[in-house]
Amino acid sequence: MPTVIVLDVSLSMSRPVPMADSSEEYQRRHLAVHGINTLLDFIAANAKLEFTSLVCYSYLWERLVPFTRDFESVKCALTNVELYNKTCIETALAGVGTVVQEEWSNVVPCQVIVVTDGSCGMGQGSLKHSLQTYNQRDSTDSKFPLPFPFPAKLHILCISNPGDSDLKASLPLYQKLIDINDQGGEVYSPDSPLSFKTVEEMFQSFAEKTYTPFHAMLQCGNFKCPVQLHPRPEPYDKELDFQCVHREMSNTLNVAGFLDIAEVASPPTLSRHLILPTSTRERNTKSDSNGGEDTNKDGTKSAGVKTEEEEDGTEDGKTPSFAVLLHGSLKVESMVAITKIGEDWYGMLYSWADSKKKSNLMLSVFEPGLDNTPWLGNLESLCPASMVPLPVLSPTQPSPQPLPHFPVRPGEKRSYAQSCVVWIKDTGLQSDMQKVLRHARKLPDKQQQFYKEMNRIRRAALSFGFHELLEAMATMLERESMLLPGTAHPSASMQLSHAANGLRSPAALDIVHTIMPLQTNFAAGDRA
Amino acid sequence: MFPVSHKTVYVLDHSSYFAQPCGEKMNYDVYSRTKTPGVIPAAHINKPLWTCSVECLFEYMRIIFDIYPFNKLIRVVVSNKSLNSWAHKEMNMNQLAVGLANVGPPLSDSRESDDEEYSVIQGLSQAVEALCQTTPLQESYMNSPANERIPLVNNGRIICMTHMKSEAHVRSLEECVVDAVNQHNKLAEATDTLLPINKVEVIFMHITPVKEPSHIPAKPKREVSTEVISELHPTQSGSVLYHKMIGLVQKHYDLASTTVTGIPMKEEQNAQSSANYDVELLHASVVHSDAMRQNQAEPPEGTVIVPSPEGLPPTVTLKWCTPKSSVVELHHCTGTHRITPVDVNSRPSSCLTNFLLAGRAVMLEQPRKTGVKVISHMLASHGGEIFIHILPTSRSILEDPPSISEGCGGRVTDYRITDFGDFMKENRLAPAPPGLLPDPEAKPVQKAYDVLERASRFWPIVITETILGNLVSSISPLPALMVKEELSDSEVLECKKVIYSIVAMESKNEPLPVPAVGSRGKGPKREEQYRQLWGELESLVRSYSDTSEEHVKVLDCLLDCRKPAAPGEETHSSAARVADVKPTVEDCDESGQAEQSWKELDKFQKMTEREKQELRKTDKVSVPPPPKKTKTEDLLMRPGGQNLLSMWTSRMKTVHNKRHVEFAGRAENPNNLQAELYIHLKEEDMDSNRPPPDSKPPMQRGIKS
Repeated sequence: MPTVIVLDVSLSMSRPVPMADSSEEYQRRHLAVHGINTLLDFIAANAKLEFTSLVCYSYLWERLVPFTRDFESVKCALTNVELYNKTCIETALAGVGTVVQEEWSNVVPCQVIVVTDGSCGMGQGSLKHSLQTYNQRDSTDSKFPLPFPFPAKLHILCISNPGDSDLKASLPLYQKLIDINDQGGEVYSPDSPLSFKTVEEMFQSFAEKTYTPFHAMLQCGNFKCPVQLHPRPEPYDKELDFQCVHREMSNTLNVAGFLDIAEVASPPTLSRHLILPTSTRERNTKSDSNGGEDTNKDGTKSAGVKTEEEEDGTEDGKTPSFAVLLHGSLKVESMVAITKIGEDWYGMLYSWADSKKKSNLMLSVFEPGLDNTPWLGNLESLCPASMVPLPVLSPTQPSPQPLPHFPVRPGEKRSYAQSCVVWIKDTGLQSDMQKVLRHARKLPDKQQQFYKEMNRIRRAALSFGFHELLEAMATMLERESMLLPGTAHPSASMQLSHAANGLRSPAALDIVHTIMPLQTNFAAGDRA
Repeated sequence: MFPVSHKTVYVLDHSSYFAQPCGEKMNYDVYSRTKTPGVIPAAHINKPLWTCSVECLFEYMRIIFDIYPFNKLIRVVVSNKSLNSWAHKEMNMNQLAVGLANVGPPLSDSRESDDEEYSVIQGLSQAVEALCQTTPLQESYMNSPANERIPLVNNGRIICMTHMKSEAHVRSLEECVVDAVNQHNKLAEATDTLLPINKVEVIFMHITPVKEPSHIPAKPKREVSTEVISELHPTQSGSVLYHKMIGLVQKHYDLASTTVTGIPMKEEQNAQSSANYDVELLHASVVHSDAMRQNQAEPPEGTVIVPSPEGLPPTVTLKWCTPKSSVVELHHCTGTHRITPVDVNSRPSSCLTNFLLAGRAVMLEQPRKTGVKVISHMLASHGGEIFIHILPTSRSILEDPPSISEGCGGRVTDYRITDFGDFMKENRLAPAPPGLLPDPEAKPVQKAYDVLERASRFWPIVITETILGNLVSSISPLPALMVKEELSDSEVLECKKVIYSIVAMESKNEPLPVPAVGSRGKGPKREEQYRQLWGELESLVRSYSDTSEEHVKVLDCLLDCRKPAAPGEETHSSAARVADVKPTVEDCDESGQAEQSWKELDKFQKMTEREKQELRKTDKVSVPPPPKKTKTEDLLMRPGGQNLLSMWTSRMKTVHNKRHVEFAGRAENPNNLQAELYIHLKEEDMDSNRPPPDSKPPMQRGIKS
């Protein structure tokens, strides 16, 4: 997820930090820059596809670096940071809101990392003042920037000595900010007196918690392949109707089977992750909390030397990987692999291309739950297609062509897929009436349709309690009988007056009653 | 977590007040539109207030049942009669239509005035009782472990379509609900089957005929007791009531509206010309969360919010894009939501829905004046339901991704892509019909995992690592049969035949389709290749040998055939192997030995043909290069571009040439082995058949006449 680093450049950041082992004088901002560099190095090494942006703030804010994967440009900007006057964190958060929404709209989850010195300002514009008034704003202009209108975790990293009185006052306020945002995040401060080392440790532990790559085992029957997911999947927490859902993605992505792209038909997805095959060696040497279960013989090998790693890289390229085979076949066949990624949680693997040339294996994660895509049905009710006979329309009358397995059809039809009656506007009633009259003019050929439509209108009128319409329809049929041309079949006018009488009879008010055609003596051959 | 909208009870006032006309005349005559001379249009008819209420109730239900077919439940109460239960199958407009027809419209003469005074009061009490009853979803929640952590909260809504006489009347009806809730909650606490009500929203619709203003003012939402929240909407009947109810349904279920603009459609009267139409759709409001949720006072660029053409709350307009191809693509889509047209039976609406139901998908574009075209949504039907798909429009965090060829295993070029494609096709999924599995508890998907596991026990993924994988035609149906969980005797025989055929191939020392291992060198010797093939075969068969006794039989047969050969006795031992095998072959096949060997020979010839074809195919289709024959084989097969047949014929030629003088005709025509006789015959024939120059060909004449 994209990262916004928000650096405090108020004057208080220039306070000197006395350090025992150094003769040179360093300021807090030097420590902050060092910490941020540590973080950037970690991201560059472990999650090089992440976007990062740098914002600095005092009582105003400025975007120094727009979202980029070029970590060196961020580092470079850090060296040129100047100091301004007092701190105002609310402005900074509003700035973050603008920066993120401009780039990613409000659907992409982000990390917001505020790096400050633990003092939160005085008077107007101070954090204390902001928090006292945050829920009393009326006009939209001064609306408090939290919670962010996009999914975002808010972290606050303090360059401050433990036990500092400013920090003690600020910590609950920082926590309050995180609580208002209500999407997770933490306040970090060093465990021991400020030094390059303690700040580095703080940033390192934050980075490990947030940017450690997510490793998993891609599995399909007996095929297995270690992979890394980018971006890192986040735990899912959501309150839905009648359930609170909490899910974490499993370390095994287990393929259940395959479907055509036309069959899955663009289902709704929560997030997308690149599936990058990794070698077992890489997996074991890199510090990871997820995939410790795999102990390989090569695990003892250290990858500290860079040249060795590079050699490994070319070696890895030549070692066959199941993920690459799967990707190739999914691409050629235009299929997807339905994959279990957690408890009651599935996704699909497919070949995805940003441009025409570079394609990759992608995991689209469905909403947790088993029946979020109605046309696929319950995902755990899927079984090998070879076991399922193709469905037929009715068991007694096998249709000439068997229906396909997908889409799964709901038990009932929607209003727009059946003839429902809506007479709220005159035109609705008129077009239903017209249908009856059209059939009336083609009596006796359309006798069956005529009675069917007429009874349909009659039943709807009964349901709506619109008994006036029965008389009106009877009058209309009688008029139609008068207007019949001389060439009309004699039975036509007989049927029309029979129907009109039927509509006027008391039995017509019974919903289960059906007005039947008049039995005439005309032989079937007369109809022509 | 426990939304009020899960349970809604409609209470319809059935008193004589609702028998009076609604005040809007209805024109039902078709002729008034077409203006046929000589026909006097029928007088407009009066709709009763009751009919207007019922129609609005039906629209409300139609919209909800289309958009939320599950777990947004609606019950209808008339007087003391409840017309349906909370069961899913009773959320059905047809059933309610019959129920309401049986109730019938209220009578205008109020002979039973004593009773009907209480019609609404009875209805409200009945509604509260209905809310105390459990829905299927509530029941399953109560039986789930989640109920221990977060106990069920029973919320609901009552919509009462009535007419009030005075403000005091309003208060008495509110009191009536409060009393009913108190009483029923006491009752419910004493039983296990009923649920006490935690919160109920009561919406009173105070209905008057059109053009008769209400003397009771609207009352906003307010608490009248700890459980009851009440609001009052005075409204005129007819179309005013309809618009009010559509507004409410959007509020109650958090719906939003999209107007699809510029739908090209043939005109009703003149089919030659086409005009553009707009159709308004309703759906969950999250469909436009991207446009609506932003903090800015103004909506972002590309979002146009306009007053609804149907006179409803504002709607977001999106432009229709005529679909160019019917190829189904996989779109990244962040949400899908059911839709329903506002005016379901209008011509533009049904035109759009029928187009979608026929299987076409329509992209919707944001109406921007400048800049690039931005597609933000897609309309498509699945299984007879229409959905709006949300397509993300902002920058992607996955832009400029690495190619898979840059990662691990990316530089290997001879994956068995086509074979794995077949593997995938054999492992397609399908929805299991109920009762497919003998064990009702077992999840069908487990079967899918089991089948995949079996199918993948022995499956080399690159071409260079396998000979078996390149011999598909020769060894089928062995792999397919091994995967089966049970084998019949004849299937075991099939497997054995495959094994014997490999033995026969080896004994004939036939070349195997071995892929070139390196750019240099001869590659492994043929004996080595056969040893690898036998090894692969054994791994394949052995991995399934724990399945059944029949599988073991196949393995035994394989092991018998693949006796470890002593070094230096290669040729001898393979001959011995064939000898070993022969009696078995005869056992199963009654025909004579000679015939058998002829058959085998035919088979082998066919196989090599097919292999060749397959090799050519793979050459064209997939990335991996075809397994190349080693140089030695090339030399063996074609010394100087010749094969056995050409050598034989050229030899025979020379032999025959010595014995006779060549026939002059053939000698003159060295390219043809056959001399052509009567060479001028054809030329003359053509001359006589040629039609005279002035006459036309018969075909043309035929067309003209």
